[in-house]
Amino acid sequence: MASTPGQRAGHRSRFDLTGPGLLGLPVAWLVVFFLVPIGIVAAYSIDALSIVPGSPVTLRTWRELFGGDPFLGHVYLSLFWKSVKMSLIVSAIIVALAYPLAYYLALSGTKRKYILLLLLIAPFLTSYLLRVLAWKVLLGDEGPINSALGWFGIGPYTLIYTQFAVLLVLGYVWLPFVALPIFVSLESLDRRLLEAASDLGASRWQAFCRVTLPLSAPGVAAAFLFVFIPTLGEFITPSLVGGTNGYMYGNQIVDLFGTGFPDWRTGSVLALFLLAVVGALTIVFSRLLQPRQVATD
Amino acid sequence: MTEHGATERRLSREDLLKLTAAAGGAALLGTRVGQAGAALSRLGAESGNLRVLDWAGYGYDGGQAMFASYVKKYPKNKPKFAVMANEADALAKLRQGVRWDIFRPYVGWVQYFAESGLVDPWDPKSIPNLKQLNPKMVKAGQYKGKQYGIPQDWGFDAVLYRTDKVKPKAKSWSLLFDERYKGKIAWFDEGSAMFAMAGVYLGAKNPWDQTDSELKKTQHFLISKKHLARMFWAYETDLWEAFGNGDVWVAYAWPNDWVQMKKKGLPVVYMHPKEKPISWIGMLMLLKGSPRPQLAHAYADTWSSAKSGKWLEDNYGYGHSNLKARPSSSDLLRALKLGNPNAVGPPNAYIDRNIPRRDLYAKLWQGVKNA
Repeated sequence: MASTPGQRAGHRSRFDLTGPGLLGLPVAWLVVFFLVPIGIVAAYSIDALSIVPGSPVTLRTWRELFGGDPFLGHVYLSLFWKSVKMSLIVSAIIVALAYPLAYYLALSGTKRKYILLLLLIAPFLTSYLLRVLAWKVLLGDEGPINSALGWFGIGPYTLIYTQFAVLLVLGYVWLPFVALPIFVSLESLDRRLLEAASDLGASRWQAFCRVTLPLSAPGVAAAFLFVFIPTLGEFITPSLVGGTNGYMYGNQIVDLFGTGFPDWRTGSVLALFLLAVVGALTIVFSRLLQPRQVATD
Repeated sequence: MTEHGATERRLSREDLLKLTAAAGGAALLGTRVGQAGAALSRLGAESGNLRVLDWAGYGYDGGQAMFASYVKKYPKNKPKFAVMANEADALAKLRQGVRWDIFRPYVGWVQYFAESGLVDPWDPKSIPNLKQLNPKMVKAGQYKGKQYGIPQDWGFDAVLYRTDKVKPKAKSWSLLFDERYKGKIAWFDEGSAMFAMAGVYLGAKNPWDQTDSELKKTQHFLISKKHLARMFWAYETDLWEAFGNGDVWVAYAWPNDWVQMKKKGLPVVYMHPKEKPISWIGMLMLLKGSPRPQLAHAYADTWSSAKSGKWLEDNYGYGHSNLKARPSSSDLLRALKLGNPNAVGPPNAYIDRNIPRRDLYAKLWQGVKNA
């Protein structure tokens, strides 16, 4: 039965009224569990809140972060840069590895693609910690990898407690996260565009470079972001397999809060700095995530 | 545990009647009614679980035998545990206002906590087993004449190594900085301990209160040797795994690590460095404003018994402050020199002590880790 304009208006009005109610819960959640904690951390960063009673409010640690600590110099920024480099390496390598994998699953036409996809994400069914600990055993000086190499008269190599181990394990852990968004973007690709490219004389490589890759770029950017941001603040993997050289920015924050002598002010400053960088990166990347057109008018 | 006053006993109907009668009698006699009333209210208030902030292995996850007699005597006031990762962690939690009755920092933190206003001194008379504890350790728990720490577990910071892989040139801390074992050495991830140890090794006048130039020298030394260390261990389990798997052969370690590696069948020696090891003593401390001080005293007394001490030594490989506690293992007896009550301090070892600039030590250690 067709509705009258008045009925439609009434329906819209009821819908509008439920809007704030629907939004209220997630907004409240964000405020309570995201904005308020950030506010608390910000307060600790200037000693407006402090675990040392009577500390005056100060911007000293913020100044020292950029201007240099009298005892440590620019050690925190150096460590941040080291972590950025490590995260970039991990992200770039696993995007490069995941792309062909996702490409095969999405475009090869295999009927078993969802089974294969399930296999790809199967490690997610086990605990993160267990997966990292498993690598600890595998990479040991007397572990299975070195033992196997030993049969061929190679090694043993120092694998565990190295920067390499951190990169390897982070790559392994985050690979499914990278493959999924790329797979989705390739799956939704309009195949007729590839047929058109072929009809117009493009080789498969040209079609890939001019059609497939640009259209999957948002998925690639999302994948990159999915791995870069969490690995930048990562601390569990480096603390388990990193040894003395795998120490990352996230470990520094944890240490400042919980070991030696608690320095929540510096820990808060470093945490907020990381948040600011990640926020800025998210804004930049979100532009890349906008859908693109292959052809222009 | 011995009987020591009505106030320490579990509150029962009989106790209440007695105290009520005492209070009533006092009132009739015109004596100190307020005092009796206070005793009554104190006992009445000491209800609920005793709240203990302690290290892993000393609560739900092990070591129940050490406070079993307390649980038997006070079944309605069983300890409820929270785990502290280290003193810094405990300090942060306490500063946040979370309330416990007892916690356990180590001897180097006694002065800090005593001055912090976070703890109250114990009443030694309410801990009869205190008389059996090593006087040196008891003294180490005192600050300005008051007993802030009740000594319990103790041991050394020293060097653990595998005899089949490592041939030390000397019995010295230098093994932790030996180029021959590059990549096979584990350091302890605790700034004040590492700086104190390096200070001892480098001959600082007071390793726990190094001057700026000494600290600079120590930091440079540690940075220059950092490439030799494969890992910094923060938790013993991490060390056991790495050492047990053969990833490291030399480690800054505690006696329990030696016990654990022996259990794994590894040929290990727990070295007594010529520069002297550093001894540490776990100190039970009473948190300020604890609503259960008498129960806390009873708990500390149970931990201080020879029976608990022997269990600790036999099962954890640490020493215990009770001089009557003796481990079944003659190896441990020798390693900790448990037959010698003076082994914990000079001339055998340095007792860990207060570090006035602990925050700076921690910061400089961050510099080493980031180098």
